[in-house]
Amino acid sequence: MAPRIGIVGAGHCRFGNSSDYDLVDVIAYAANEALEDSGGLALRKEVDQVLVANMAGGLFNRETAIASALVSRMDMEPCPAELVENGPASGASAVKLAYMAIASGMVDVVLVAAGEIMRSVTGWEATDIVATMAHKEAEYNMGLTLPGFAGMFTRLYMQKYGLTERDLALVAVKDHDNAAKNIYAHVQIPVTIEAIADGPEAGVVNNYVAEPLRMYSTCPITDGSAAVILVNMDSPKAKLFKRRPIRIAGIASATDTHCVHNRKDPLVLDAVRLSAEKAYRMAGVGPADISFAELHDAFVIFELLISEEVGFFERGKSFLAVRNHETDLNGRLPINTSGGLKAKGHPVGATGVSQIFELVRQLRGEAEEGRQVKDPKYGMAVNFGGFGNNVVTTILAKD
Amino acid sequence: MIDFSAYGELTPHIHGFRCQKCGAIYYPAPMICGKCDSKRDPVTGRNWEEFDLEGPCTLLTWTRVWNLPEGFNKKFLLFGMVSFPNGLKASGRIELEGDPRIGMALVAKAIEADERPGKPVKVFLFEPA
Repeated sequence: MAPRIGIVGAGHCRFGNSSDYDLVDVIAYAANEALEDSGGLALRKEVDQVLVANMAGGLFNRETAIASALVSRMDMEPCPAELVENGPASGASAVKLAYMAIASGMVDVVLVAAGEIMRSVTGWEATDIVATMAHKEAEYNMGLTLPGFAGMFTRLYMQKYGLTERDLALVAVKDHDNAAKNIYAHVQIPVTIEAIADGPEAGVVNNYVAEPLRMYSTCPITDGSAAVILVNMDSPKAKLFKRRPIRIAGIASATDTHCVHNRKDPLVLDAVRLSAEKAYRMAGVGPADISFAELHDAFVIFELLISEEVGFFERGKSFLAVRNHETDLNGRLPINTSGGLKAKGHPVGATGVSQIFELVRQLRGEAEEGRQVKDPKYGMAVNFGGFGNNVVTTILAKD
Repeated sequence: MIDFSAYGELTPHIHGFRCQKCGAIYYPAPMICGKCDSKRDPVTGRNWEEFDLEGPCTLLTWTRVWNLPEGFNKKFLLFGMVSFPNGLKASGRIELEGDPRIGMALVAKAIEADERPGKPVKVFLFEPA
């Protein structure tokens, strides 16, 4: 029987522009925060394994082998340390692998530290670097980018289900409202529907990025880091950590075709659905049991699509739930309470751990006043790699 | 004396791939046939047939991208996803005046593009039929 595995420490930096700082320092900052949260920096000597999540430090920062650098920077040698790279799902993948390492019996305590500094390059370069995760010959070489795919995807959804640009703006308004209350968010500025959709200047304020996606349908380019400490709750070491564990009830991943055009229906995200189904089975729960969710809204259309694939809403109906405020902080099922990638920011390699950090805060009841979900039991995070081709779903439980 | 330029690929082509064992077709090339498990040698291409993927196709969806990546000096580019009569699908650039329309007939051809550093690459260009 697999041991119970929980998170006993969580750390995060303020997302934003960290491009004047070193990538390893920024990641180590969040790791230090997680250690202090768990009981103190001395507990780093109890860590059996370090996993670092980062997508493209070699390209953004010309820094590689950063797991080795991190343990040295934190005086943790000879602790084993490896880098996990799975595109924008690197963070949740690292947590999944940490879970597997503990479940295997090889280790009892794993520090997962994640970070990305993307603003060290221009926006055009960052767009290009992120696009390298697309198929080299059939997508990247064409000049296609992730916003480009999201634009094509959104147009299909609009045609099939009647989604409007105003519906996309409503998701952004909700996410910005949440981020405005989140001390860790990149963009802590609320926006109004008048400013980005209804008003006479909306087309200027909220200009097109990849039609029909506009700026407020798209995440910012963000730097930042997040970290969590996983323990075997049944091991003697668990007693060393002062925080009550938030249990990982389910964690699973699945893949889909690398080329988006090779999917039978481009609007169906099989990897999301399959990873969620596996995570639900592992946790012994279903969509109705989830109290709140962090969904990978690099483009707000993803928040809608993912919420359908994981079973929260019928296909083609999620935007109606947004119109009815069901996904607001005080709604039936709050989604992206942190502000999501849309407003909290999306430092690609850090995002998965940042989402799990938010689940931990909410389940502990430690979110800011006005942002705390009422008495949550289960939180879900869905972290996307590529354009939905490598997806990790995590379900945390407050026991 | 060999004139190497005479043997170069003067007209760019983008290839689809057919497994000769079971006839399944792919774009881009896989390393294993998903239907019959035949492997493809990326150097010799043995047991696989290449064919030009071009000609009539139907537009499935499209976007106009305004924030192009590093190297692109245009104000915007149109991109689309198309379906060929043989069932294969592909993504590439669209060149036409105004807005494309989902379901419209297009013609696919390959061109060389050199916006990014390094060797020129082959790019699908979809034009009105």
